[in-house]
Amino acid sequence: MIEAALPGAEVEVIDETGAGDHLRATVTAPQFEGLSRIDQHRLVKGAVVDRFEDGQIHALSIRTSVPGR
Amino acid sequence: MSDPELKSKVEELIAGHPVLLFMKGTPEAPRCGFSMRVVQVLDTMDVDYGAIDVLPALQPLREVTAEISDWQTFPQLYVNGELVGGADIVEEMYASGELAEALGVEQPANGLQAAPPAQSPPLQIE
Repeated sequence: MIEAALPGAEVEVIDETGAGDHLRATVTAPQFEGLSRIDQHRLVKGAVVDRFEDGQIHALSIRTSVPGR
Repeated sequence: MSDPELKSKVEELIAGHPVLLFMKGTPEAPRCGFSMRVVQVLDTMDVDYGAIDVLPALQPLREVTAEISDWQTFPQLYVNGELVGGADIVEEMYASGELAEALGVEQPANGLQAAPPAQSPPLQIE
């Protein structure tokens, strides 16, 4: 879902509890260039908002970076 | 649509506090690990901050912050009227020194202080 919303992004998602509802996502995307951290996180959260709303995800930790940094 | 009265109250609070944390529980007794992590960072930075416990009005406050900042999860740290982020961003910016810069303080030399003793709410036995 994150890759679809941010073409060219490198995404790694770790399931922290094994239950699939507490996730940690590391996202490197060219779209983050020039954005504040909060705006970078908004993009990632926006990509998965449906999974929060339907209750499949309870918690998502995010770490973002721009490629080459 | 959020409660307009609550929204203007929240806007006043954000404008009135250079450093303001919306959290679950209180700095002395955080009720959520993410909130506790932000409190720990702020205590390490040795800054004065206001703290609002969101638990008594969680859903109405989510609606308000969704409108104000496009952000619905807590904790939320505001510095000079702007949402900086939640626990992940605050910790990342602390580690990089950006948070000290945003707060206008020196980067603490000793690293994160130990977590304050956890205070669990009194047990209730029915």
